[in-house]
Amino acid sequence: MLEIKNLNSGYAKVSVLRNVTFHVNQDETVAIIGPNGAGKSTLLKTISGLVRAQSGDITFENNNILGLSPDLVVRRGLAYVPEGGRIFPNMTVLDNLLMGAYSNPGILKSGILEEIFTLFPILKNRSEKFARTLSGGERQMLAIGRGLVSRPKLIMLDEPSLGVAPKLIDEIYEKIHALKRFGLTVLLVEQNTGYALELADRGYVIENGQIVMEGAATDLSTSEHIKKFYLGL
Amino acid sequence: MIHTVSQGIITGILMGAIYALIALGLSIVFGIMNVTNFAHGDFVMLSMYLSYAVGSALAWDAVATPLITAPLLFIFGFITYYLLIDRTLRQMYVVQLAVTVGLQILLRSLALIVWQAQPRALQYSIIQGNIQIAGFEILTSRLISAIISLIFIAGLAYFLNKTWAGRAMRAASDDLDAASLMGVNYHKTYALTFAIGSSITALAGGLLMSFQQTDPVGGVRFGLLSWAVLALAGLGSLPGLIVAGIIVGVVESLTVSFFDPRSRLLGVYAIFILVLWLRPRGLFGRR
Repeated sequence: MLEIKNLNSGYAKVSVLRNVTFHVNQDETVAIIGPNGAGKSTLLKTISGLVRAQSGDITFENNNILGLSPDLVVRRGLAYVPEGGRIFPNMTVLDNLLMGAYSNPGILKSGILEEIFTLFPILKNRSEKFARTLSGGERQMLAIGRGLVSRPKLIMLDEPSLGVAPKLIDEIYEKIHALKRFGLTVLLVEQNTGYALELADRGYVIENGQIVMEGAATDLSTSEHIKKFYLGL
Repeated sequence: MIHTVSQGIITGILMGAIYALIALGLSIVFGIMNVTNFAHGDFVMLSMYLSYAVGSALAWDAVATPLITAPLLFIFGFITYYLLIDRTLRQMYVVQLAVTVGLQILLRSLALIVWQAQPRALQYSIIQGNIQIAGFEILTSRLISAIISLIFIAGLAYFLNKTWAGRAMRAASDDLDAASLMGVNYHKTYALTFAIGSSITALAGGLLMSFQQTDPVGGVRFGLLSWAVLALAGLGSLPGLIVAGIIVGVVESLTVSFFDPRSRLLGVYAIFILVLWLRPRGLFGRR
């Protein structure tokens, strides 16, 4: 569904990603794990169009999307929930969700908001509140909810556990698990390796801008390298 | 004495509503695009001349001229955005400053060439005269202008809150990257914002021409007044903008009544500096 080949990307003269190649199949949940600064966020930003790739190929459903601006990428059905959520603080929760339908307002008739309120009941209770008044966990739920409104085919989640109180991380991950029932393909980037590998079908390990390991999530979580450096076992 | 003060306050409130309208144009461009348009006052000046041209050619009342000048300024704003402003967005701030100051000088020079240095005013008005209320004289044209200003501000508030384009503008203002991830093409959203900001000056210019004259350097006054209103109001609150416009209008009007008409901006500057000093975010601003 999503194929990345020999991708090189970064900022100005700084190269962050070097020859990254990986793929995500339909209905799969893929986790990309790695330490801080390995290039995980840069990878998702490049796919979503926020960062320009230097070279390589990005194809989504067999169409080349490399070089498309972010507003065009989301119209292809590829949503990106950025690190920290990046909700609109001075807009209401409802307006934030409505912005999720900006690329396709007709989608609202399909009852998507009701589905999202069922998944995240807290958002319904808070719908008239300004998003800036939400807690870290609620912000993350709003960001994920906003990403779902357009009914994307693939959703990319960037560190959904970041800035969330530890006891709420379980809840967020239960919700992400529920996304699979939406028929969604998920690409997850996470520093919190334990959570990510428990959820994912397959995983890639990225270090210094390069993919250094790949495999089924269960295999990765039993590998010595992962145990030692990521799970602290 | 009390009568003079009250009369000054009434005149100030009516002017203040128009000042709020002028500042609204500056406010949406600054608040949504983070662009400091130093030529804003000169857009008002240009609009006043266009109102003069339309009003004298068609023998229209000044208040009606925005029906023609507002679409013209909308197109002018749209073109200005794509030709100039769009290219400054990813540049150093000083580039944007040079471009908008340059635009200011260009507009002023054009006005001098086309209309020469002499002030122009419209002859006709169906809404001349005064209304007497409880012993106070209210200029009918100012009253009508103030009411139109307030209605337009309310209309824009509705547009920003309830339409897709308005929501996209607020989202772009909050977080540009996140807005583009939602499908917002920021070039289009910014062009619309700048065009609306420009057409607001056309409306204000028409209203002002119903009781004022215009001259090629008159833009400075409106530019500075808008900044004073904006500094006082802060960003993000339209009711705050109206209150700030009225404060500026009243202070200006009282300075004229009690001090010296030639120093009408003195009192306005005094509160401008005071607010920047004591409350840099303005009285009602959240950012």
